Amino acid sequence: MKLILSDRPLKLSAAEADGVKYFDLSELKIAGCTGCFGCWTKTPGRCVIRDDAVNVYPAIAESSCVLYISRIKYGGYDTVMKTLLERAIPIQTAFIRLLDGETHHYQRAVAPKKAHVIAYGDNICADEKAVFSRLVARNAKNMNFESYRIIFTEESGIESAAEEVLKKWRKY
Amino acid sequence: MAEILIFNASPRAPRSNSRLYAEIFTKVCRIKTEYFNITKTNHIELCGKVNGFSDLLFVFPLYADGIPATLLNFLKSLETNPPGEKPVISVLVNCGFLEPSQNDTAVEMIRLFCRQNGYRFGSALEIGGGEALPATPFMRLTARKIKKLAECITAGKHRILHTTMPLPKRLFVKASVSYWVNYGKKSGISEEEMRTLRIEGK
Repeated sequence: MKLILSDRPLKLSAAEADGVKYFDLSELKIAGCTGCFGCWTKTPGRCVIRDDAVNVYPAIAESSCVLYISRIKYGGYDTVMKTLLERAIPIQTAFIRLLDGETHHYQRAVAPKKAHVIAYGDNICADEKAVFSRLVARNAKNMNFESYRIIFTEESGIESAAEEVLKKWRKY
Repeated sequence: MAEILIFNASPRAPRSNSRLYAEIFTKVCRIKTEYFNITKTNHIELCGKVNGFSDLLFVFPLYADGIPATLLNFLKSLETNPPGEKPVISVLVNCGFLEPSQNDTAVEMIRLFCRQNGYRFGSALEIGGGEALPATPFMRLTARKIKKLAECITAGKHRILHTTMPLPKRLFVKASVSYWVNYGKKSGISEEEMRTLRIEGK
């Protein structure tokens, strides 16, 4: 499966978006993770908060290509995307493994991913790009990215950047 | 006035390891501290408290490789409701992994907030070792580093500090299995159930 998660509405041509699952997170009701560990220790693989996030994280797990589109804030994802990513921990287990010499959580049935991340904002400075790049490198280990590419853009450039990614996806 | 304001940005602040670490900080710190939990609804109230403090310490867990949304949202409020005089901002961050360096990006985010908003960044203590750390004998090492953090902040001699369980990685992995299996048992969930590959039952 191919998946787009966006923190804003996205206008894509039907041809490009064909066969791609798309969530406009700004339209969904997703509460913050409460850190209860319920998805690891009480109802493994299921979040105890039964809101729209429970439809999104299974799609993340299934997808072999993901495109995350988020405003950038303090070198990270802004609130909408960050809240969803924090709610996606049911796709991991509590247990720890060694990966590239570091400790990380085991994944449940999570497909390895080719990830693209579009980070948008006005005049994103070099410092902010550097912090965001380090963040996505960390995400790659914890979110099962086998490869990733980050595209920084102004908000007006999101759709064209997304369509470029979708064109690349045709090969997969 | 040299006083330290401590904000706990853990999503489960009242029963978090972050709270425990903040309590140790308060005990060992030689100057006066005030402590508050960040909640969804108290941002404006907390922004109003920042005035008059020489230092602000954020205590929080690593969430999805960065600062938790609780803290992100508070920083956005602080950006729009800045204090008259800006304190030095320091951080105490803990993660579920053995390597304290996995907290580096979260510290960089706070540094970036400071640069973008005209605050001086102070010290950081990055704690590895996971959820189980406070219940182990290694907590003494952590408490020592928290004391060091307090000394750095009060003296204005800022440093980046790290601490974790002094265990080989494979032993840490084994120990964490025992911890989580016992955690699951309390809810009647077996190790096999906890290891399920199914997500939302599929």
